[in-house]
Amino acid sequence: MSRPRPTIPTLLTLVTLTLTVLAGLPAYAAKPAADNMPSHHDDRTALGQFIVDVAAPIGVALILLAICLCIYRMIRGPHLADRVLAGDTIAILVVGIVAVFSMMLETALFFDAALVVAIIGFASTVAFSQYIGAKRKTDDPASPEPDPSPETPA
Amino acid sequence: MNWVLDILALISLVFGLFFMMVGALGLVRLPDVYHRIHAASKATTLGLLGLLLAAVLHVGTFGVATKALLTLVFAFVATPIGSHMLAKAAHRDRAEQWPGTLADDLAEDQA
Repeated sequence: MSRPRPTIPTLLTLVTLTLTVLAGLPAYAAKPAADNMPSHHDDRTALGQFIVDVAAPIGVALILLAICLCIYRMIRGPHLADRVLAGDTIAILVVGIVAVFSMMLETALFFDAALVVAIIGFASTVAFSQYIGAKRKTDDPASPEPDPSPETPA
Repeated sequence: MNWVLDILALISLVFGLFFMMVGALGLVRLPDVYHRIHAASKATTLGLLGLLLAAVLHVGTFGVATKALLTLVFAFVATPIGSHMLAKAAHRDRAEQWPGTLADDLAEDQA
């Protein structure tokens, strides 16, 4: 197995960081429009303001970087299970990014979407594992078959 | 009181982001499918716990708390099941193993 080339993750990371900064700049410029957002904390402490202004955007950037690493594994993964695992991890990371976004905007509106993404990710992982487990039997019946376990439907 | 909640939220946020990054880095750097499943499923689930806890502590409304708890329970039940099924399917399809692998008990049981 060859080592992963370092150029592609580096490139993806740079592209993500650039896109994140470019997407964040208009949001900072349009700060007064954020007053329309439903806010429950008008009496924010300085640390709470720091979380909303600095920590949560950095968190969003880091999770986007993690998603890029998952996409790299999904493109390069030698086995189909690698790609499916990368998709499952992306689903979990999207739930995490929704949590950080709801910290930034201080609303509970997006958690429904997070729950739906989590359920779809789990269902697709289970379906793909059934496919991977049943693949060898139909592909080359000449190869010696491992003992079929009783809980895996043929 | 607000200060305490904010400090706890910041600590949870850093905790969650750290474990999310550990999971993603393990997904890229580890040598075979089974190692990658080990890294990605466990570390990202723990990271999700930190991020949802941070959201609950920072926002602090009842709606966020209920939905975060629901998501958390689902993730803690579903992720181990999914990764177990994925590892079993990869083993059944005879995915390539790292040369330094010491034991393969499932293959010995099936032999």
